[in-house]
Amino acid sequence: MDLARRLFMTQAARVTAGAAFVPLAQVAQAGINDQPPRRGGDPTKRYAMLIDLRRCIGCQACTVSCHIENEAPLGKFRTIVSQYEVENEETGALAQFMLPRLCNHCDNPPCVPVCPVQATFQREDGIVVVDADRCVGCAYCVQACPYDARFVNPRTQVADKCTFCAHRLEAGLLPACVESCVGGARIIGDINDPESQIARMIDEYHDELMVLQPDKNTAPHIFYLGMDERFVDRPEARPGLWDVRDSDGAELGYEYAEH
Amino acid sequence: MDKSRRRLLQGGVAVAGTATFAAGYSAPLEKMAHGLSGSSGEKPAHPIYGDAPAPEYRVDLATGDIEMNPDQRMAFTICYGCTTQCGVRVRIENATDRVLNVRGNPYHPLSSDAHLPETAPVREALRCVSGFDHNGQENRSTACARGNAMIAQIDSPHRVLNVLKRVGPRGAGEWRTVPFERAIEEICEGGDLFGEGPVDGLRAINDYETPLDPDAPELGPKTNQLLVMEATDYGRSALLKRFAFNAFGTRNYGHHGSYCGLAFRMGSGAVMNDLDSNAHTKPDFENADFALFIGTAPSQAGNPFKRQGRLIADARAKGLDYVVVDPALNASVVNPAQGANWVPVRPGTDSALAMALIRWLLENDGYAADFLSLPSQRAADAANEAGHTNAAHLVIVEDGHPAQGRFLRKSHLGLAEPEAEDDGPIVLAGGTPTPADSADRGDLFARTAIALPDGGKIAVASSLTLLREAALEHTLADYAAECGIPEDRIVEIARRFKAGGRRAVVDCHGGMMSATGFHAAYGIQVLNLLAGSMNHKGGSAHGGGSFNGFGNGPRYDLATFPEMRKPQGVFLSRSKFPYEKSSEYNRRVAAGENPYPARAPWRKLAPPVLTEHLASALDGYPYPIKAVIGVMANPLYGQAGLQELIGDRMADPSRLGLYVAIDGFINETNRYADYIFPDSVMYEVWGFTGAWSGTLTKTTTACWPVIEPRQVKTADGDPVGMESFLIAVAKRLNLAGFGAGAIPAADGGLLNLDRAEDFFLRAAANVAFTGDTLPAASDDDIALSGIGRLMPRIQETLPPEERGPVTHLYSRGGRFQNFAKAYDGELLGNRWTRTLCLYNEDVATAIDSETGRRHRGVPEFRRAELSDGTPMRDLFPEDDWPLLAFSFKSNIFNSYAAGLDRLRMIKPYNPVLIHTADARRAGIAHGDTLEIESPGGRAIGIALVGEGVMRGALGIEHGFGHSELGATRHLIDGEPHGGNPWIGAGVNLNALGFADPTRRVAGTWLEPISGASVRQGLPVRIRKLEDVAA
Repeated sequence: MDLARRLFMTQAARVTAGAAFVPLAQVAQAGINDQPPRRGGDPTKRYAMLIDLRRCIGCQACTVSCHIENEAPLGKFRTIVSQYEVENEETGALAQFMLPRLCNHCDNPPCVPVCPVQATFQREDGIVVVDADRCVGCAYCVQACPYDARFVNPRTQVADKCTFCAHRLEAGLLPACVESCVGGARIIGDINDPESQIARMIDEYHDELMVLQPDKNTAPHIFYLGMDERFVDRPEARPGLWDVRDSDGAELGYEYAEH
Repeated sequence: MDKSRRRLLQGGVAVAGTATFAAGYSAPLEKMAHGLSGSSGEKPAHPIYGDAPAPEYRVDLATGDIEMNPDQRMAFTICYGCTTQCGVRVRIENATDRVLNVRGNPYHPLSSDAHLPETAPVREALRCVSGFDHNGQENRSTACARGNAMIAQIDSPHRVLNVLKRVGPRGAGEWRTVPFERAIEEICEGGDLFGEGPVDGLRAINDYETPLDPDAPELGPKTNQLLVMEATDYGRSALLKRFAFNAFGTRNYGHHGSYCGLAFRMGSGAVMNDLDSNAHTKPDFENADFALFIGTAPSQAGNPFKRQGRLIADARAKGLDYVVVDPALNASVVNPAQGANWVPVRPGTDSALAMALIRWLLENDGYAADFLSLPSQRAADAANEAGHTNAAHLVIVEDGHPAQGRFLRKSHLGLAEPEAEDDGPIVLAGGTPTPADSADRGDLFARTAIALPDGGKIAVASSLTLLREAALEHTLADYAAECGIPEDRIVEIARRFKAGGRRAVVDCHGGMMSATGFHAAYGIQVLNLLAGSMNHKGGSAHGGGSFNGFGNGPRYDLATFPEMRKPQGVFLSRSKFPYEKSSEYNRRVAAGENPYPARAPWRKLAPPVLTEHLASALDGYPYPIKAVIGVMANPLYGQAGLQELIGDRMADPSRLGLYVAIDGFINETNRYADYIFPDSVMYEVWGFTGAWSGTLTKTTTACWPVIEPRQVKTADGDPVGMESFLIAVAKRLNLAGFGAGAIPAADGGLLNLDRAEDFFLRAAANVAFTGDTLPAASDDDIALSGIGRLMPRIQETLPPEERGPVTHLYSRGGRFQNFAKAYDGELLGNRWTRTLCLYNEDVATAIDSETGRRHRGVPEFRRAELSDGTPMRDLFPEDDWPLLAFSFKSNIFNSYAAGLDRLRMIKPYNPVLIHTADARRAGIAHGDTLEIESPGGRAIGIALVGEGVMRGALGIEHGFGHSELGATRHLIDGEPHGGNPWIGAGVNLNALGFADPTRRVAGTWLEPISGASVRQGLPVRIRKLEDVAA
């Protein structure tokens, strides 16, 4: 089990709505200065996602619908829900913790400046995308992303990641993961539109929202509601068990591992 | 990091998703080491959007105008990703007839938050799931992971597409393709079909006049030598039953219920006063104040899976207080929900918990006394209550009295004729015996002797008294010791339940599949009566039921036909028939023998159970069979211990002459078939399904072939499948009910049944014309709902006046009562009106054929026993078998999902849950390979060690450990088919089942009252397996 598998879990910190929007630009000033100009997309919009963890049932409907919609290769994911067993420190009570993960469409995306050919870029509407025509598959961006949200697609040989289903947003439809979210946990929208559901919820839950790894100054735009504050430190999670054995106990490995 | 913080994530169970995001690393790193090489991959269709297909339509976010994508179509139909059978909308690419993806049908209550009215135009339905006006996320209509992944079934490389006949011995895995028509001829006419000697064909078995056994005429005619089995009603059982029961005339039909949830269903049926169809309830999640889940886990599993998941998510966000009692921590209990608690329980001991809760509530004024004292519907109506119970009804407890166990009735007091319609029960009203239907209230607690008109006296007790006496037989401490839940925890649950008042509700389901499951489920469901929450907002809901298209409907009679046969005789499973009426019993009594035990259990209360059918038939008791027709049925995978018990016998043509399977895939059971007919899979079939209990509004979902079935066609051009098989066989054997003049129409005419649509489109007409006839669909509805290809068939089959309403039905994917009808003030809109039972007279008067003793009419604490009453732990003591294995449903997999790549990539197999203490004792560490051994089998798994499982229990997620569905290589016409070992990964708990050593006729371990397969609480032991070479 390599380190990456063991320590993919992330930090989260309490951010107020203010911290999420106003200071992030300042906090991340150094980074933002390194960012190439945004291009494409509607400059009046800023897409973001709020994930209400109270409503996440860990069903992976998002995972599979995204995988189908975006024709991801088997064993590679643009989004997935990680599931943990957690213990309440005060009561000792055990519970499941479901953490849907995807590209954070950061305001200060570390994946963008490292791209040697400017294939990875941020659109004016905040969506971070990859131009497959330019990408050379070097995977610098894969390395740079603190959220493990990218992979190199073995079929296309280019960097691959969540686009918020930009092709569907532009058609007035919902991203596959949102449309299929059984518990209604995933809320997408334009945070610049005060009437949008996401803007209203950010307003309502102002003090409760958290983002993953705020110390990285990436200004992530996936906001979690119901996130446990104790996840601020990088937690040590015991690895999941992925390698398959056959009915005699002989090791088969993970079916979709790259060889 | 300090210790307490670390403990926070000690499990890291990561049942899904740990490796996956990070798995992107290795290859790119390697590539970097070799320097930049540029992209040499396949060029995606779009530089930014990749290979995502173009959207199915576009919505103008300013106006809501919709512009369809002419290259795709949407259709509303049924998902068969699990038995929930949600109504879904399927997106299809026209050029390829490929299903692109699946979402919820916004008209459908199983898929939507608040479903659209049936009359809303289809255009509105497409708009309301879009980004327009935030509708699509504020009121979603979804499809789950499994439902989405299931589309891969359609073009699966493991699918059977031709009619196969075995080559070589049964079960050897070698097949050749034969023409449909020839296979039908062989199956009907028999002969030396396999070079193994003569085989009786269906024509020879089709003898409805001659008794099977002249010495036991009650067994019925020779047609009973055909057993028909299927997985479950995927919307077309009506046609299969028409063939089996009414055309061929066999008694023997069975489905998966007896190894699914039957013990729960019968326990519910006892409470609902409905042991004929075993009605059950589900919580009204939206309005409950306290919910208790025992052996069921909304959002982990349960029926309806997706609806419950959505409702518990919503309730959690609103702060619902709930407790989940389960041997394993599951997806119902999530961290952000402060009011949700997991309470681990020892597998198979739920009857102890139920009786403990009943005891505490009865001793602590924790029951709805006012409601319980209402002895009749009349009294309930007068008190503005929904429903009533038999809590105050008096039961005859006089020892040796011929009516012992029955209710004291008016006729006993000379107030009515015996058995007359008005011969109702008696209550004490203020101490005076009074007919229940004329008393406003009955005394809840009574144990007394009542004077009879003849001057004698008879001992009676009220139902609630008998329940209390049963509960008081053990102390809370004893119950706590049995179920492994500390007494103070039980009391805390009881207090919270009491505090919930009329909005406290309890639910249970598959966790009841233990050796004491009937009484456990009965006791748990009785709690809803004590709370008085049945039929109440926030309480326990039976639901709205469905529109029946297959009955004697307003347009067609699909239930009867000229020269219809009626099944006769005793089921192979000896269900619904008292042993005391059998020739065997009479012979033994006449010979002066003790008639008990019977040679094998006869279960008067149970429905026909597949758990007994097959093993009994192969053992020739009560009679042998000659042929099996199985439709998607896979009992050898699904029933604990069955493979080990009958695998060899299934392969033996001298025990079973002919086995015909109809299935899209080769599974663990039909691998023994002589013929496999390919079947349509989901989105290719016709049918109608209802909604599961607890769905508050009346619902019927329709499906039709929204894509062209992929398998071979008959010479007539129809897809080969269940329908074409049954029609061809019935016509060849000249059976009534199929072919010419088979369907009576309302106008007196008789219509033909030559194709599937002759049956299903007429059922659609019945549904569309039930009550207020549906309006006609508009041209726009037709254009937007993908039913263009259905229209010619509607026009060919139905008269003009039926076409509009039927088209309306298919354009919405079914018929749905309006969401607004869910509630009626503080009550549910659809209510259960039969007398609810704290005491069940049918149960109390049924005799256990193994012991000769009566069953008990109230729930009671039971310990696991084997068939003859021997305590399980006497034969399999804890010292030898220290753990109790249990299974739980997967939120990702089902029993037939293993072939789906997109599910295997998320959940490649099922690690075995073991408590830290048990693992330590066995010297097993997290991630170790271990062997699990039971009295009947062994399995090898990987240990997932943690605290999220009850100590002393071993948990196995269901759906893994297959040997078929693509895992094993077969040869079809000499070409390899299947053989992907990853499909077979993981452990199947049922491999650990065992033959009940106390039985005289072969059988696995079954719950005594229901005959349900025991899978919760199998005795096992574990040991670490040293490394096995790859």
